[in-house]
Amino acid sequence: MINMDVFHGFLDAIHHLPEMAKPEALTDEERLARAKKVIRIKMDRGLALDLEACVNCGYCSEACHFYQSTQDPQYSPSRKLDLLRRVHARESSAFAPIKRLFTPDITVDDLKEWQPLVYDACTECSRCSMICPMGVNIARGVNVMREVLFEAGLAPLELLAVAQEQAGRGTVFGVGPTELVQAVESIRSQGIHMPLDEPQADVMMVTSVIDILLYQDALMATAKILNHLGVKWTLRSAGFEGANFGLLAGSEALQKEASRRLIHEALAIGAKTVLLPECGHAYPALRWDGRLDGGQALPFEVMAVSEYVGQQISNGRLQLSPGDPTRRITYHDACKLARHGGVVQEPRAALKALGVDFTDTTPTAETNWCCGGGAGAFLINRAEGLRYKAWEIKREQINATGADTVAVSCGSCRLNLMAGAEKDQWPVKIESVVSLVAMQLKD
Amino acid sequence: MDFLGLVRGPLLWLSIAVFVLGVSWQLFSLWRMPSGTASSAPARQTFGKAAALRSAMQRTVPKGGFHPSATLVTINPYVFHVGLAVVFFGYAPHIAFVHRLTGLWWPALPDMVMYVAAALTIISLLLALLFRLTDSVLKRISKADDFITWTVTFLPVITGMAVLNESSAVTLLRDHVLYRGPLALHLFSLELLLMWFPFGKLMHAFWVLPARMQLATFFGRRGVRS
Repeated sequence: MINMDVFHGFLDAIHHLPEMAKPEALTDEERLARAKKVIRIKMDRGLALDLEACVNCGYCSEACHFYQSTQDPQYSPSRKLDLLRRVHARESSAFAPIKRLFTPDITVDDLKEWQPLVYDACTECSRCSMICPMGVNIARGVNVMREVLFEAGLAPLELLAVAQEQAGRGTVFGVGPTELVQAVESIRSQGIHMPLDEPQADVMMVTSVIDILLYQDALMATAKILNHLGVKWTLRSAGFEGANFGLLAGSEALQKEASRRLIHEALAIGAKTVLLPECGHAYPALRWDGRLDGGQALPFEVMAVSEYVGQQISNGRLQLSPGDPTRRITYHDACKLARHGGVVQEPRAALKALGVDFTDTTPTAETNWCCGGGAGAFLINRAEGLRYKAWEIKREQINATGADTVAVSCGSCRLNLMAGAEKDQWPVKIESVVSLVAMQLKD
Repeated sequence: MDFLGLVRGPLLWLSIAVFVLGVSWQLFSLWRMPSGTASSAPARQTFGKAAALRSAMQRTVPKGGFHPSATLVTINPYVFHVGLAVVFFGYAPHIAFVHRLTGLWWPALPDMVMYVAAALTIISLLLALLFRLTDSVLKRISKADDFITWTVTFLPVITGMAVLNESSAVTLLRDHVLYRGPLALHLFSLELLLMWFPFGKLMHAFWVLPARMQLATFFGRRGVRS
C-alpha cells in the first residue's frame, strides 16, 4: 500500500526544488560561447548525418505525445533540433561558408526558448524515431541540446538542484546512506532479509530515492525475490542510487560520476550482476552508457529488475503460485526500458506467469505511448499542465484495454500515472511488476 | 548558340559537374567528421550491417501503431517518389537522353503509363505543397529549402508535359526538335534541379540509407525492433 502522505510530500518537495538550485552566474556571451562549444564537441558524424537527413516531413509530430495532446506545432520533435542544425549549417556542414550567409546564428534568446522544448516537452522517449522515414535519432539530438543548455547554465532549476545535490552531497532529495539504512532497518523489522554492505556478493542490488521514500513495496519485493532465489546479494550504502540526474539534467560529467559510484561498489564486491531498480532511465545510463574509466566495457552484467525477474521465470528458476484469472492486467512499457533498452519480453513473461488475464495495450512495446513524465519532466513544475495533457493519451490507451490494473517497471512512470490518476479519480490500480511477482512467490 | 544549344551543351555539363562534385563534397565532408564514441556495452543481440540494411529497407513501409490522421500525408510521398522514378526512368525519350550521355540503355514503359504517372506526380506534388502551406506543423517547420526543392522538382515535370505532343516513338524518329523553346525550358529545369541537389534536401536520396542504418544499429544492438 502506497503512503499517499509520502506521495504528496514528494510532490511538495518538487515544488521547492528551484529554491535549492545554485545556478552559475553567467553573462549572455558566456552562455552562448559555452553552448556553441558543446555543440562543436558533440557534432560527430552520426549527429551530423541525423541533422542533414531530416526532410521536414513532420511525421515525427504524429508520434509525439506532447504534440498529439496539444496540437501545438512548436512541439514538433524535428524542430527541437533546429539550433543544432543552424550551428552545423554555419560551421561544420559541407557548404558552411555559403550557408552561413543565409542561416542566422543562434542567440541566448534562442537557447532560452529551447529550454522548455527539450526539457518539459520532450521525454526523449524516441517514439518519433520509430516513425521517422529517414531514421533520425531525435532523442539523441535532444539529449545533446540538454547538454548544451546545462553548460550554458540554462537547465531547469529543478533538475539542476537535484543534479547538484547528487554530485555534491551524494544524496537525492535528501536521501543518502543514513536514510537507506533506516529503510533497510524498517524492512528488516518486517522479517525480510536485507543484506547491506556485504563485502562480497554475486548480485549488487541498486535502488532509488523513490523506492526508499515511496515505493518500498518494490524494494521489498526485489529483496524477497532475491532471497527466494537463494542469491548472494547485497545493497551498498556507498553506491545505491540508480537514478542519474546528471543524465536527465544534461551533464555528462555528473552522469559519469553517478555511474562511477555504482561501478566502484560493484567492482569492490566482485558482483557478477548489478540489478537496477524499477527506474527507467537508470537502465540506459548504466547498461548502455556505463563504462570503466578507461572506456572498457563493464566486467559485470547490468540488468533491470523486471528483466531479471522475467528471465528467472522464463528459465524456470522462479515459480509463482496461481493468481486470479479474472483479474485483467495490462503493462505500460517505460520508454527507457523498452524503446531505449530492449526490455520488452521479460516483464511480460513475468506478468503472464501471474496467471491473470494479461492484455497488451495498443500500441505496445516499442511503439507504446510515453507516460509524459520521463527524462526528468516529472520534476519540472511548470511542465505540470503539459504532462497532464500527455497523460490523457496514456489514460485512454489503458482504459481501452479494460484492465483493472496497470503494471509498470519504472518509478517515474508510476509517479506520473499516480499524479494523473489522483487528479482524474482514475479507478485503475497502478502496480509495480516486481511487487506483483513477489506477492505470488511459491512457498 | 541558341538557348536550346546552351542547355543541351555547356549548361548541361555544368549542372552535371555541380551535381557530381557537390554530392561528392557533401559525402566526403560527412565522412571526414569524427566518428563519435562507440558504445562498449555488450550488445543484447548481434546486429551487423546486413541486419541494419534489412531494417533500413523495412523502414520504407510505415510502422503500424501510429496516429491515423497522417494517412493521406503518408501515402502522398510514395506517389510522387514512385511517379518521378517511373517518369524519369521509364519514358523512352528520357532513356534516349541518358543513352546519348552515358551509353546506358534499358526498355521503356508504354507512353500511357507515363502520362498517368506524370499526371499523378503533378497532383501529388501539388498536394505536397498544399500540405506544406496549410498544415500547422509543416508551416512551422518549413524552411526556404523546402520550397526551393519543391519548385526544382515540380518544374521538370510540368515543363515536360509542355513538350508532349506526340507519341514517344514518333518523337524519337524525328531528326529535329519540334518545340525548341519548351524542350529548352524542360532541360533547363532539370539542370536547375541538378544544381540545387547538393545544397538542399534532395541530398536525402544519399542520406536515407546511412541514416536509417545508423538508427537501426543503435536500436538493433539493444534488441529493439525499429
